[in-house]
Amino acid sequence: MVQAEEVSRSFGSVRALDRVSLEVRPGEVFGLLGPNGAGKTTLVRILTGVLQPDGGRAWVAGLEVGREPHRVKARIGYATQEQSIYRDLTVEENLLFRARLYRPKEARPLAREVLERFGLLPYAHALAGHLSGGWRQRLALAQAVVHRPEVLFLDEPTTGLDPLSRRSVWELIHQEAERGAAVLVTTHYMDEAERCHRLALLFGGRVLATGTPQELKALAKARARFLYAPGLSLREARGMPGVLEAWPSGAGVRLIARREASLGGLEEVEPSLEDVFILLTKEVL
Amino acid sequence: MNRILALAEKEFLQIRRDHVLPRLIVLLPTLMLLLFGYAINFTLSHIPLAVYDASQDRISQVLLAELTKEDRFRLVHRAASPEAVVQAVDRGQARVGLVVPPGALDKVRRGESVSLEVYVDGSDPNFAFQAQAALRKAIQEVNARILVGRAMAGEAVLPPLSPNLHTLYNPENKTAWFMIPGIIGLVLTMFTVLLTALSIVREVESRMMESLLASPLRPHEMVLGKVLPYLFIAFGVALLVLGLGHFVFGVPVRGSLALLLLAMFLFVLGSLAAGVLISTLARTQVQAVFGTYAYAFPTIFLSGFVFPIDGMPRFFQLLSYLVPARYLIEVLRGVMLKGVGFAVLWPHLAALLLFSALVLFLASVRFQRQVVA
Repeated sequence: MVQAEEVSRSFGSVRALDRVSLEVRPGEVFGLLGPNGAGKTTLVRILTGVLQPDGGRAWVAGLEVGREPHRVKARIGYATQEQSIYRDLTVEENLLFRARLYRPKEARPLAREVLERFGLLPYAHALAGHLSGGWRQRLALAQAVVHRPEVLFLDEPTTGLDPLSRRSVWELIHQEAERGAAVLVTTHYMDEAERCHRLALLFGGRVLATGTPQELKALAKARARFLYAPGLSLREARGMPGVLEAWPSGAGVRLIARREASLGGLEEVEPSLEDVFILLTKEVL
Repeated sequence: MNRILALAEKEFLQIRRDHVLPRLIVLLPTLMLLLFGYAINFTLSHIPLAVYDASQDRISQVLLAELTKEDRFRLVHRAASPEAVVQAVDRGQARVGLVVPPGALDKVRRGESVSLEVYVDGSDPNFAFQAQAALRKAIQEVNARILVGRAMAGEAVLPPLSPNLHTLYNPENKTAWFMIPGIIGLVLTMFTVLLTALSIVREVESRMMESLLASPLRPHEMVLGKVLPYLFIAFGVALLVLGLGHFVFGVPVRGSLALLLLAMFLFVLGSLAAGVLISTLARTQVQAVFGTYAYAFPTIFLSGFVFPIDGMPRFFQLLSYLVPARYLIEVLRGVMLKGVGFAVLWPHLAALLLFSALVLFLASVRFQRQVVA
């Protein structure tokens, strides 16, 4: 559904994307995980046909984006980082406008259907600008899927939301995947990445690793040890041989250490995706 | 087509939802028209006049009667000395001073010339020019009467040349008649350019452009959808100004209304494209506003809207050929006041066509380039 092969893009002397390859399958929620400036948005812009790549090719919904951007655009949904809604229009007007851009003849029933599916019916006639942050994000998602796209791109859909709103946004994202859409979500929240079927870790414009959250953790465990040392000070921990990274956690210190490091008596812990990410970026640097 | 309409309707909705904008769109041109039509009057009347009359005879009485006829001048100060006349002008009590020397009637009888001292407040050249002209006219009138009397008595001959003035098109020199075609030009420039530029920059500034670009909306559809509502609005406003001018100020439309509308359409099209062009250069709405001012300023000064092009230095006269509003105003004045038709006005229409085509082309090229990054 989405396939990128060696996609590159530079802005001046900055290499924003360096031969990025990935694949998103129908019905899958694929997470693009990376810090700010990793190139997530650039990749999304290329895949949505807004930006041309310098090198490599990408296919979306069976079409090559670089060649037929307009046919691609008709079949995808894109929720930009900034909520793409008109605050001076009502919820319903926003949805109708979007629906008309894609499928003018069925705009009304489509808007109606998405209002119900996203629980926005009570707010149909409220101005979008009057909604709370969480509901506004719901609307932003709704307007990206109102035309029932085959492929959905969501650029940081949960940034700035409270935990409850984030949960409900993720529910909606999975709802879309169950409908059969291929969903590509970018995020820099490591804990959220656990909710994706598969992930790519993006750092400095390059994909460090791809796989399910479990696969990524297994990969990390094969390369390093993840430990917890109660009662140890941060300085002591950092001074130990083979320690790659250490940070305070509760009454002790969390450690990432080389596999071969001999650190007896410390508690082995299950790595989080954040641990995986830190390990992989350490290896790059 | 559907997508263009969707965008245009959305734009209309947003304009309607704005509490201030729709009122401004109607009120501003109306106010401008009333202001220019009523308050600003370039035809002077009641010019305050100070006089020192040393003769106090029939000649000076006839001259004063002639000056105050038709309210051109108003006698505000009878000075006690010639110096007091200048002082009255200095103090701003009067703006024109007149000193009639003693023994005017005797001199006229002897066939001598009476030399009148006239002081005109020249701080406003436009005023000075009109005051001088009015004075000259009154003095000529008196001269002519004296000469006729003396010619009948066989003492003199009539002057060989005497003008009979016919003011064409606007015989009463009504300022409103002159201004209203210009106001239509100005309103059309400001509204179309500003509103289009703002509406596009707003999408960019609020980061909505990104998601519009990722939609099936093609660049030309985006431009058309954005421009269409303002085309209607600009036309509506132009018709409003035209109607007000016609029914309130009695400005005639002597020529073809269709020709008038054609010129307005060509001009609006080009101006909307200029708005798009500005939007591709401006990143913020503030920049767009200033960009529009930069575009509209030459229109005010070089289009012949208020300041006659014939009065400009050669360089600016040539520069004024680059101001599209100039051609629109020529056509408007031609059709409304002179009642001339296509045979006379075609060069201006051709210039408008060229302007619209050129700016439309430039705007679409720039917009396209901005969109395809």
